[in-house]
Amino acid sequence: MAVKIVTDSTSDLPEDLARELGVTVVPLSVFFGEEAYKDGVEITREQFFERLTSGGIHPHTSQPSVEDFVAVYKDLTSQGHEVVSVHVSDKMSGTMNSARLARAELQDAKIELVDTGLAALGLGMVVKFTAEAANAGQSFDKVVAAAHEASANTNCFFVPATLEFLQKGGRIGKAGAVIGGLLSIKPILTVHNGEVHPYTKVRTESKAIAKMLEIATDGGPYAEVAIIHEGQSEAAAVLMDHLASLSDKPVVQGKIGAVVGVHTGPGAIGMVLRKG
Amino acid sequence: MAGPAPTPLNSPTPLTGDQYRQMVVSGTQYVEQHVDEINALNVFPVPDGDTGINMLLTLRSANESNELPPAGTGTVAQVSAALSRGALLGARGNSGVIFSQFMKGIAESLVGAETCHGANIVAALTCAAAAGYQAVGTPVEGTMLTVMRGAAEGAASLDAASPRTNALVLATALDAASAALSNTPEQLPILKEAGVVDAGGQGVVAFLAGALAYVTGEHVPLEITTPAGGNASASVNQEFLEHTEEDMYGFCTQFVVFGERLDVDSVREQVGAMAGSTVVIGDDRTVRVHAHAENPGPLLSLGVSLGSVDQISIQNMDMQHQQFMALHGYTRDEQTALAVVAVAPGNGLTKLFHDQGAAQVVGGGQTMNPSSAQLLDAVKRANAVHTFLLPNNPNIILAANQASELADCSVTVIPSLNIPQGISALLAFNPSLNAEANANSMKAALDDVRSGEVTTAMRSTTLNGVAIVEGQAIAMLDGALMAATTTPNEALIAMLDGANLEDGALVTLYFGNGEGASNLARIAAEAAGMIETRFTGVDVEVHEGGQPHYTYLVSIE
Repeated sequence: MAVKIVTDSTSDLPEDLARELGVTVVPLSVFFGEEAYKDGVEITREQFFERLTSGGIHPHTSQPSVEDFVAVYKDLTSQGHEVVSVHVSDKMSGTMNSARLARAELQDAKIELVDTGLAALGLGMVVKFTAEAANAGQSFDKVVAAAHEASANTNCFFVPATLEFLQKGGRIGKAGAVIGGLLSIKPILTVHNGEVHPYTKVRTESKAIAKMLEIATDGGPYAEVAIIHEGQSEAAAVLMDHLASLSDKPVVQGKIGAVVGVHTGPGAIGMVLRKG
Repeated sequence: MAGPAPTPLNSPTPLTGDQYRQMVVSGTQYVEQHVDEINALNVFPVPDGDTGINMLLTLRSANESNELPPAGTGTVAQVSAALSRGALLGARGNSGVIFSQFMKGIAESLVGAETCHGANIVAALTCAAAAGYQAVGTPVEGTMLTVMRGAAEGAASLDAASPRTNALVLATALDAASAALSNTPEQLPILKEAGVVDAGGQGVVAFLAGALAYVTGEHVPLEITTPAGGNASASVNQEFLEHTEEDMYGFCTQFVVFGERLDVDSVREQVGAMAGSTVVIGDDRTVRVHAHAENPGPLLSLGVSLGSVDQISIQNMDMQHQQFMALHGYTRDEQTALAVVAVAPGNGLTKLFHDQGAAQVVGGGQTMNPSSAQLLDAVKRANAVHTFLLPNNPNIILAANQASELADCSVTVIPSLNIPQGISALLAFNPSLNAEANANSMKAALDDVRSGEVTTAMRSTTLNGVAIVEGQAIAMLDGALMAATTTPNEALIAMLDGANLEDGALVTLYFGNGEGASNLARIAAEAAGMIETRFTGVDVEVHEGGQPHYTYLVSIE
C-alpha cells in the first residue's frame, strides 16, 4: 500500500519525469470542431501546435470525464493505494469538478483532491514535490499537506511568444485585459488566486526577459525552479543560467502543453519558482 | 473682468478688501495684455508650455473664486484667502502652480487683516517668496522665484520709520523685481544662450506693474524684449482659447475684428460687460475676441460696429458639455481599488491610454497644461481608493502634485516627463497588486524608455551648438537637441543615429495632427521603412497620436 499521485494533463510534466515519479496523468481533451483528441495520448503536443498554427478551426479544450477519473481512482485504490489527486485551478478548468464527482462515486476509497490554483508547469512542480513526498514514504496526511504547502509556495510567470491566440477568443482569466489595444506589447502573465493575470507589460522581448530575471532575483533563493521554453533561444539560455544560480536543485525544463497552449500558442517562455 | 475704474490711492489710506481685489484684477489685466510676449520668452524654439497663458489662467481662476465675498464687501483677509484658494484650484503649468503658492503665502500673511497697508504688502511679498521657494523641490535661481524674492527684498529695504504707502511699496518692489528679472540670464545660462529673460519672472513683473497701476491710478509702462523671430503678435493661440472652456454654459464665441485705430482696452471692457471668460487682445488694427455668452448676437454686433469681422466661431457649450460628460464616463459609480489618470494630447494618444487601462485621460500636454482642478476632477471621476496620476510632461508635474494634495482619496504622482514614459508606467500598472508595489514598479518603468520628439522650429537660434533656422524640422532626444534639418523624417533619422539603438530595440512613432493626418500617416510609414532599412534588428511601430505641433513623438525601448 502506498500513497499515489494523480494529476491532469495541464501539468505539462515531461513524460519521462511523470513516469519516473510514478504519477498518473489524466488527459483533458482537445477539440478541433467536432474532432476530439485526448491530450498527449491521441495527439502529441507537436501535432497539436502544428495544427493550431496552421490556421483553420481554433481548438478548445474540455475537462476529463468523470469516468476517466473513476477508472484511474478505481485502478489505484483496488490495488490498496491511497490517492492524492493534484489539479489545475478550479477557476480555469472544470477538471476538479470531474474529479470531485468521481470521488463521490467511490465512497470507500481514500482519495484527497487538491486545487493548486495553478496550471502548466506551475502545477507540474507542485505535483513533482508531492510525488517526491509520497515516494519518500510519507504518510497520506503529510503528502496532502505537502501538496497544499507547495501550491502556496509556487509562483509561475510566462511570456507568450505572440498574442495571436489570446486574441482568438481564448482568454484566460484576467489576461484578456492585455489584448485590447493597438500597441504591440509583451505581457508577463502570472497565476494569481487561481487565475491568469497580467503581472506587468513591456514592449520588447529583451525587456520581458530582463523583467523576469528581476522578478526571480527579488523573490529568491528557491527550493526548486523550472524553466518553460521551446527550442534553443538566447533568451532561454540567459534565463536558464540565472535560474540555476537561484536554487541548489537542478532546473527542471518543460514546455507549454496543449491545454494552456490553446491560449498562449507555442514558444512561450516562462519560469516556475517554488520557495522551500 | 473689467471692474469700475480704479480709484487713485496715492496716499497712506489702506486698501479695503474690495480694493485689494481690484488691485489683483488689475495685475491680472497686465499679465493678459502681455500674455503673448510672455509666451514668446521661450528658451526652446518649440511649441511649449506657455508661461503667460498658464499664469493668466491661474490668476483668472483666482479672480473667479467662488469663495470670494460679494463684490464691494469682505475684509482683505477674506478676499486674499478666497483668491488663494481659486488660484490653487486653477493652477496650470509650473509657473501657474508657483504663482498660486505666492498667493497662498500672501493669504497666510494677511490672515486677520481688515485692510491692507504698505507694511502688509511688505510682509505679504516676503511670505509669497518664502512659500514659492518651499513649494519647489529644488529651487533654481534665475526663475520667477528669484524675481519674487527680489520684489520682497526691495520692498523690505524701505525704511520702516518713513511712511510706507501701498504705492511706494509696490513701486519699490516693481523696480527690484525688474532688476532681478534683467539679471536672470546671468543666473541661468540657457536663458542667456536663447537671449531671453525668464518668462515666469516677466509674469511676476507684469503682475506687480498692474497692481501698482491700480493703486496709483496711472498706467505703468512695461517693455518686454522678446527674442528675435519670436512670435509675439496679436494672435492668441488656439490652445489658449480651448483652455478657457471651463464654465460650460452658453456659447463659446470667437472672432477677429480688423479695423483702424481700434481701442483694445475699450473693446475688452465692453466685451467684459456682455459675457464671461473673456479674452480680448490685439493692437490698434486687429482685435481678437473670445467670450462665453448666453447669446452670441450682441457680441457679434459689437464686432461689426468696430470693423470687419472674420474667423467667427460659435460653439454650443451645453452640447459640448453633455458630450464631454457622456464620453468621459460620468456614470461610473462603482469604486475601484486602484486607477490610473493620465494627461495626453490628441485623440490617438487618448485612445491608447484608455486601451491600456487608464480610467481617465485629461486632454493636455506640452502646449496645453491642465489645471490642478481639472486633474482633481479626473481623479474624482476615476473613483478609486488610490489613484496614480501620470502628468506626462515636466510642466504638469507641479499641478499634479497640487491635485494630489487637494484630493480626498490618496493619489500618487508618477513623475512621467513625456508620453513614452507615461505609456511605459501605465504598462507596469497591475491592479491586482497593492498601491505601494504599483508605485514602485510604475516609477521604475519610467527609466525603461527613451523619448524623442520631432517638431518645427518656431524661430532661428543656436542650441547645443546646432544652428537652427525658423521653419526647420528639429529633433530632440531626452530633452536634448539632436538635429535641425529640412524634413521631419531627416530629423528623425539623425536623432536615431545619435541614439545608439541596440539590436532588438523597438521604435514607436506617434504621428501628430498637423497638415492632415492622412498625409502624416503616409510620411510616418515612409519613416518606418527608412528606419528598418537603416537600423537592422530594430522594430518599428507607427500609431496615430493626434498631438498638435509635434510631427512625431518617439519612444525608444
